[in-house]
Amino acid sequence: MSVPRPLARSLFSRRLVALSTPPAQPCHHHSFHTSPPLAVRRRPRFKNIRAADMGLVTEEKVEQFAQQNFPRFTPEEVAELGKRFSPEQITALEAGEASIDPKDLTVQGRLRVDPYILPYIEDFADIQPIIDKRPKNKAPPDPTARFMDLDEFTADLVEWADKFKTGDPTGTMKRLADFVPEKWRHADEKNWPAGVRDKAKKDFLRYVETESSNTSSGVLTDADVLGYILERSSMTDKNRQSNSLLAPALPNKVPGVAGLYKNAIDPADEGLDDSGIYQDLKKRTGMTVRQILSLRVKVIVRRYVVNQTRLGKVRSASIMAFAGNENGWLGIGMAKSTEGPLAMEKAKLLAIADMKPIPRYENRTVYGNIEGKVGATVVQLFPRPPGFGLRVPFRIFELCRAAGIRDLAAKMPRARSPMNSVKALHQALMNQKDPEKIAEGRGRKLVDVRKVYYGGAVY
Amino acid sequence: MGIQSIAHACSHLQNATRARLGLTSLPSNKYNLNLALALHRAGLVGSVTRGGPQPPPMEALSSLEAGGATEPVTTANVATRRLWLGLKYWDNEPVIRNVKVVSKPSRLVTAALPALERVSRGLPADHLKGLNLGETMFLATDRGVLEIREALVKKVGGLVLCRVS
Repeated sequence: MSVPRPLARSLFSRRLVALSTPPAQPCHHHSFHTSPPLAVRRRPRFKNIRAADMGLVTEEKVEQFAQQNFPRFTPEEVAELGKRFSPEQITALEAGEASIDPKDLTVQGRLRVDPYILPYIEDFADIQPIIDKRPKNKAPPDPTARFMDLDEFTADLVEWADKFKTGDPTGTMKRLADFVPEKWRHADEKNWPAGVRDKAKKDFLRYVETESSNTSSGVLTDADVLGYILERSSMTDKNRQSNSLLAPALPNKVPGVAGLYKNAIDPADEGLDDSGIYQDLKKRTGMTVRQILSLRVKVIVRRYVVNQTRLGKVRSASIMAFAGNENGWLGIGMAKSTEGPLAMEKAKLLAIADMKPIPRYENRTVYGNIEGKVGATVVQLFPRPPGFGLRVPFRIFELCRAAGIRDLAAKMPRARSPMNSVKALHQALMNQKDPEKIAEGRGRKLVDVRKVYYGGAVY
Repeated sequence: MGIQSIAHACSHLQNATRARLGLTSLPSNKYNLNLALALHRAGLVGSVTRGGPQPPPMEALSSLEAGGATEPVTTANVATRRLWLGLKYWDNEPVIRNVKVVSKPSRLVTAALPALERVSRGLPADHLKGLNLGETMFLATDRGVLEIREALVKKVGGLVLCRVS
């Protein structure tokens, strides 16, 4: 009992004290929201001045603007209008003018000043039943529509053409056989006597001319044909119209079409690339398909890797291939795919696209001792005399043969990882020093003494 | 101290040229000066100029002395003199890419004429590897610091200082 009493007393006394002092400022110590307090909120750098303060919306200003922009007809203008319109029309014009207060136009109207302004004032907010066409609400496009096949298309065309009732209905046009006597009608055309055949042909020609002239003077016009081309739907939706201006999109899956599209086959390929896999490469490399097929292309490294996911193991192949023309050009391609053959094909195509010239000393070996390093794999290459051959590890052998290097020794003193050894070899071959560049850089003459003695006849 | 300063100069030159510096300096002493002049004769550096702690003006770079632009050498400032070397670059690559010291204060390497003949043809001799394409070697002989081919012309062997490529 004794505890609440002092508390109550202190609360009461504090309240009295609070009443005696002016009301406290709102406390900013606790922020209950993330927006900054009013004092630190960003203010514009320049103070805005309201239009009212500038005196722009006063009665006189509005009056003045309306007078200036929407003046009443002057007596001269009324006289001029009287020449063009009847007195009744003038009365209607004046009534129309009087019904619109220029002040309303000034205060509420939005006046356009752009170059596409109409010669009269209209905001097109409402549809006026007398002037405007009624908008048609059309049904949404048919979701099951597909493109017509040949028979459906023919039937659709015949149906359209039959709307134009000139000449006989479709399928009733006479044929050549109708112009020969009954005796020969069922015989083959070759067996007709010459006189009968000539006469029948002449009559048939005359008949066709009459029919065609009937058609030309008939109802079908160019506009109808254009309408057929532009407006007739080529899908099985019975020519249903839609509110959209856009053409209907292709459906996600077009059954019956898959696999039927073929790349245009270039006659210059001599039938070597019917599946079209080299067409892109042809454009990128400028080689013909025959040249591409004559390259030495081979898969050099295969790796099968497995990605363990919670759904199971996903196997994929990682393939490295090379391509060379056996005359100084070499490229390396690497591709990965869950499908092994696909990865191989991709790697080979990438290798062909990657082909670049490599420097070769005397078109048979390398310039000086060179070294390439990828990861822990180091490949050292040493030039060797003519006839030495390729005394190198097998992957280096394959690549050097494709590149047209015939004399070489090599060492892989450290790791011999298959993929890195190929990469390191490629790096080493591409980063050879050019003796010409060294000589130019030092400003000194550099001579290959191999070419100095015996008149340069060193082979 | 001579060989040690050569070793320092070699490391510094390799660092400076890999950092693509245009002008760098070495302590001015007779070992560095002789090596710098041999490098200049071989076309590996563009200029050798004697100057102070500040780089010499551009117009002085074509001569050995920095001219009137720098203060005269006295006993008071001789310790601060530097050799300013202009580094060369060609086709976006430094002309000097590797500088490797051969003789060290702890192990001096000398080469006689027969060994130099083999090394210059790219063959190994006396613990020296053959020269690679574009590689050269500098020797301290009794005819001064010479490039290996100059030494062969003069038929002298000597102390192998460094290999540069």
